[in-house]
Amino acid sequence: MAVNLKRSSGEDSDGGKTSRRRMLGWLTGVGLFGSAGLSAVSNFVFIKPRATYGQPQRFSVGKPEDFPEGTRSVLGARGICIVREGTKLAAISTTCTHLGCTVASAETGFACPCHGSRFDPDGNVTGGPAPRPLPWFQVTLAPNGEIEVDKDIEITPGSYLTL
Amino acid sequence: MRLALAIGTFFILVIHGIVFYNQFGHPWERNQNTYFDQAKVLAKTDTEKAALAARRPRIEQIVVSNFGETRVDRCTTCHIAADDPRFSSHAEPVKTHPYSATLGDYQKDGKWERRHKFAEFGCTVCHDGQGRGLDAEYSHGRDEYWPDPLLGFTTQENWRKDFAPKLKGKEYMEANCAQCHTDTAFAGTALVTRGRVLFFATNCYGCHRIEGLSDGTIGPDLSDVGRKWKLDYLWGRIADPKSILATSIMPKFNLKDEDIKALVVFLKSRKGRNFAETEIQRFKVKLTGGAELVQATIKPVQINPKEMVKQGEKLVLDRACTACHKLGERDGGIAPDLSQEGLIKDSEWIYDHFKNPKSTMPDSIMPAFRFTDDEFKAMTAYLVTLKGVTAPPAGEAIYKNYCLRCHGEKGDGHGPIAEHLDPYPRDLTKAGFMNSKPEARLVNSVRNGVAGTSMPAWGKLLNEEQAKAVLSYVQSSFTKEPRREVKPHAIPEKNPVATSKESADRGEALFVNRCAGCHGKKGDGKGPNSLDILPKPRNLRNSFFVNSVDDKRLFDSIEYGVQGTAMPSWIDYGLTHNDVGDLVNFIRSINQKPKGGQHAAAIQ
Repeated sequence: MAVNLKRSSGEDSDGGKTSRRRMLGWLTGVGLFGSAGLSAVSNFVFIKPRATYGQPQRFSVGKPEDFPEGTRSVLGARGICIVREGTKLAAISTTCTHLGCTVASAETGFACPCHGSRFDPDGNVTGGPAPRPLPWFQVTLAPNGEIEVDKDIEITPGSYLTL
Repeated sequence: MRLALAIGTFFILVIHGIVFYNQFGHPWERNQNTYFDQAKVLAKTDTEKAALAARRPRIEQIVVSNFGETRVDRCTTCHIAADDPRFSSHAEPVKTHPYSATLGDYQKDGKWERRHKFAEFGCTVCHDGQGRGLDAEYSHGRDEYWPDPLLGFTTQENWRKDFAPKLKGKEYMEANCAQCHTDTAFAGTALVTRGRVLFFATNCYGCHRIEGLSDGTIGPDLSDVGRKWKLDYLWGRIADPKSILATSIMPKFNLKDEDIKALVVFLKSRKGRNFAETEIQRFKVKLTGGAELVQATIKPVQINPKEMVKQGEKLVLDRACTACHKLGERDGGIAPDLSQEGLIKDSEWIYDHFKNPKSTMPDSIMPAFRFTDDEFKAMTAYLVTLKGVTAPPAGEAIYKNYCLRCHGEKGDGHGPIAEHLDPYPRDLTKAGFMNSKPEARLVNSVRNGVAGTSMPAWGKLLNEEQAKAVLSYVQSSFTKEPRREVKPHAIPEKNPVATSKESADRGEALFVNRCAGCHGKKGDGKGPNSLDILPKPRNLRNSFFVNSVDDKRLFDSIEYGVQGTAMPSWIDYGLTHNDVGDLVNFIRSINQKPKGGQHAAAIQ
């Protein structure tokens, strides 16, 4: 080993060629920092679980016929309100943007029972402490003819699914 | 050193890379991407295309809490097209779950509608398998230690090769259908219903308990057997009980494959409680013992008085009597030979024994089966016609024909069926016992049997000479000691103590002090020492036996002991004639109640 060190240190001085020592140093460095980097990335990725044990975010809510024209049906367990206007359909969240209470449907739109936030029928804030309007979720017509709501994907308020 | 470090770190990097790749390059992600790509081609509108383009692979799950514990079924993560009718002709896993009218799916406007929506039912409720798994091996339950592999579809590496192919097929899923569809007439669970009928027809209920159906105590309780065991184990235990557990005493029933399948499906459907049951229904079943279901399942044979014997024969042969008993060529290897039943028992005894085996044989392990009285009468009528063959004259041949099954090849009492008999057959090699009894008593035991034990009266088969011949064969081949003259014991001719309550009470006190160690406090022969003793201490509550012996013999056995057994000679331990008289009075007093015979009147 001592011989090795001496020889490699001797060759280190001439700049042109990468010495054995340097090469090994690089390899070690790449290996160590590379795996450390990968671990760090994985750790960050794993902070957010890929699945939780709650109800799925993407679910089917039934056939379009289940929602007659001009009705607003609140699905309490799912936390959404299905709005049907003519041939247009949308899903509005019923979770208050203030502290997460479930808002109730009211004549003027939605009303939160906890701190009195008010929303209009499109989910825009009209009063109370709520900071943001109620989000709209993506609604698609699944190939089996059922309406699928994906709570992971928010869409711009006012965009409807046309049946 | 440096080289090693460099290689080492590089190696670690590679391992990290592999782990990283595995974590982020799941097969299910590829499946989902395939689905998105193909669905985009099939998509008709731009919004549909845009929606598909926005979708990224992710873990799809259905959380179902209507069926027992909350189930998390992630099957649709790979089987993402399960509910997309456009993929019906694609290859698994991106394939539509087939629609089937037998599952209750129906067509509406030319489109199929599902009866069991996946969002409501999930997947594992019907299919079994490991719902949370994201990897084909684990989620399909191919893992050896997962108790519920995909029913009827997945066989495991460690399953017996000769059984494994029989365990495939979707019929096995009927076991899960029956968790909700408990109606016995339901067409979708025909195998469960058939299995339930077989459970009674092959007399499984005699030994096994299933809540709400039967209450046998000899075998394990099967109320939740479907939750505990896999298909292959159930199949194996029914097809060949000893192959899985060498000490199993379950008989081999020699059933046909389709019968075993029905039984396996039925057993697999026993999971403790059904999803469909309410508390009130369970309570009702508990109150009635499931009488409704049992009555609907057992179909009694209409007995025609003219054909009684023939129908009895059919019952005896069809209803698995020979799974335990021997009858001609058929031999279950557990219970006594019925081939000459008509000569060793009479119809009253047989009928009583059928109605309640313990009423004629207090320690019999035979279960009381649920035949109708008419069926029992027919079977009795058949059994009394069995006369066997004429007994051979030679002692050895007689022994091999009649005695060997219980007393064993070596005469040591360990015959093939001995372990199922109580009292255990006499060890004929014990010279102490054999030579201490006068020949007349031995001949009497052979020709008239020993009451309350499995030793039948052979008198109608063997005459005096034949009995003596077999005894001399036993003497020369097993006992191997010449008979000695028995010295008469000094015992009173009759009990010196008069029968009275006081005498019996004194006897009981003595009994608890002196005898309970072996004979047990209750006199049932199950005292703490009885475990180490063979022959076992006599069950003194066996009225048939106790009432068949006279006071003189009890005095002899107590005062001078029984040679060749653990019974000591109590006269050496200070018991007087009067003490023994009290004991005899006590033993007589606990055998007062006449037992048996209460059913026999029915067949007159």
